[in-house]
Amino acid sequence: MEKLIYSLVSVKNNREALNALLAEMKGISGGDLFVVATDEVAAVVSDIERSGFATDRSMAIEYAGLIEIMSQQFTLLPVRFGSVMESSDKILKMLERNYHDIQQNLQKVDNKCEFGLKILCDPEGIMADLKGKTEAMINTNVTPSAESKNSVYREWVNKKLHEHRLEEMMITFVDSVIAALSVSLVRLNAIHKFKKLVTAATIIDAVFLLDKEKKEILIQSVEEIEKQFPGLNFILTGPWPPYNFVEIVLK
Amino acid sequence: MEENKILFSTGSLDGLSEEIGTLVNREESRLKLTPDNADSGLAKLVLTLIELIRKLVEKQAMRRVDGGLLSDCEIERLGETLMKLEMKMEELKKHFNLTDRDLNLNLGPLGDLM
Repeated sequence: MEKLIYSLVSVKNNREALNALLAEMKGISGGDLFVVATDEVAAVVSDIERSGFATDRSMAIEYAGLIEIMSQQFTLLPVRFGSVMESSDKILKMLERNYHDIQQNLQKVDNKCEFGLKILCDPEGIMADLKGKTEAMINTNVTPSAESKNSVYREWVNKKLHEHRLEEMMITFVDSVIAALSVSLVRLNAIHKFKKLVTAATIIDAVFLLDKEKKEILIQSVEEIEKQFPGLNFILTGPWPPYNFVEIVLK
Repeated sequence: MEENKILFSTGSLDGLSEEIGTLVNREESRLKLTPDNADSGLAKLVLTLIELIRKLVEKQAMRRVDGGLLSDCEIERLGETLMKLEMKMEELKKHFNLTDRDLNLNLGPLGDLM
């Protein structure tokens, strides 16, 4: 029977505690959870029939919920949903081959958790606001010469130039929000990743990795920054297992 | 996951729900090449690359115009060229029954191409 892998867990002196926790839980499809371990690293797995393993939304949520419970007590690396290996022996060999990289990643996330911050805007509202603030700059200042005054090509360039300047202003604005956030994150000693202008409405999609006990300070910091940008909708979530901070290419 | 994961929110979560819906529905913007749609799939791929390059050229051109580096005459010629390119692109999209959205490939974790 194949094995579904949930997470890679650091088990320095606490393998018994992990076994005790897993004994109280059930895996996907009600299978028992158990560990395949080498030295200080264990993979949490359950038996699964790959042929009958239908991945759907509810199963993915259940899977994430199990990782969440484990992450509250142990330092772990979450494994991508649907990661299946043929046998415990193959998992063991994979752990041994990648032991150094797994350990390095576990050290990076030790006693830390992930937080997510999405910053949403009303795209039309924010564009109107930016336009209003810098109307003078937005007015295209390409002065047409006498012979090309009514040129359709010139009008086209002016229109495109207008759009280009608005886009540049939007990027500058988003960078100013990121700069404000970065100052706080440096103080919190957080590792961070920012994605800018993911969609027209989601102007920032960020994830932070920081010490578990700094959660309240992070909330306060985000609240303070939000006051500087009242037109934006800040949504801070967490704590999460470190989904976005595992950097391993398995050998 | 019984714990409330929303630690701080300044507005309604409706916007977030809509955004998640948008991201989930991006599945349709993935390139789906199969033996049955090789022609249209290839057209989509080629036009996507052309559109990407066209937009990059246009962006760079606007930077030069904005920087005051071009004469009136050069701006005029640039406008004519880029406008004709844009019109040609519209023709091609129409011919292959593609929309702007079709040409914005979803690159998974990297986000959208354009």
